[in-house]
Amino acid sequence: MNRLFSNMGILEKALDAAWLRNEVIAHNIANADTPGYKKYKVVFEEELKSAIEASALKGKKTRPKHLDIGATSIDQVSPRIVRTGGTQMREDGNNVDMDEEMTNLAKNSIMYNALVQKIAGEFRKLKAVINEGRR
Amino acid sequence: MFRSFDISASALTLNKLRMDVIAQNIANAQTTRTETGEPYRRKVVVVREEQNIKPFGQYLRESMGGFSGGGVKAVRIQGDPTPFKRVYDPGHPDADEDGYVLMPNVEILREMVDMISATRSYEANVTAFNASKNMAMKALEIGR
Repeated sequence: MNRLFSNMGILEKALDAAWLRNEVIAHNIANADTPGYKKYKVVFEEELKSAIEASALKGKKTRPKHLDIGATSIDQVSPRIVRTGGTQMREDGNNVDMDEEMTNLAKNSIMYNALVQKIAGEFRKLKAVINEGRR
Repeated sequence: MFRSFDISASALTLNKLRMDVIAQNIANAQTTRTETGEPYRRKVVVVREEQNIKPFGQYLRESMGGFSGGGVKAVRIQGDPTPFKRVYDPGHPDADEDGYVLMPNVEILREMVDMISATRSYEANVTAFNASKNMAMKALEIGR
């Protein structure tokens, strides 16, 4: 990715993660009454945060066989899906909490909209820069 | 891209099916004679989680951090094995020599509760569907 779109990569990743989370939440809500169903969860923000925090400290590699010191770079962060056992509150083994899922649904779609706005804003900025030069 | 629509749709279909079965149970709450000769037996929908791919692929994909969920699926419609109610009603055409009639194992109260539950599930899935739709529509605004 070149300098022009340097911010875009991370936004794209977050957008993909939000869409994936939407799928997972829809799946959980669909299975709210399925006996024995265990809910899925998408872990992304935590990984992103640790990648950002760790990107300050990074081991220098002088040989190709050196191991990575410090966490992975931001480009390598990808959403992870975990299946939660436990936290079972019902007789039939299902652990979907409807209130939690609906809250996550609302949170996630607002997050998605915010990201879309941010990306659109980036493009608007570029456009402004290009158009200003023409005057 | 459109998988979350399909996931919500599968749950909507399932809850419609549930409503159909509940309606049939309520309609037959007094049916003492069916084709098999016994009273009407209450029906329940058996559901399971739907996976888009075969079990091995599913495990492989999940261990690699992918998502293979495909919503929910009705496996079969099964009879409820609880015993029939025995009611004393000598004037009934299906009464035995002691005057007892076997009535269906349908309890209206329970059916009503199940019905409300199915309605609420349906609504929740409609909400999820609308959320997906709004997100997809929002994504179209990026290039505008």
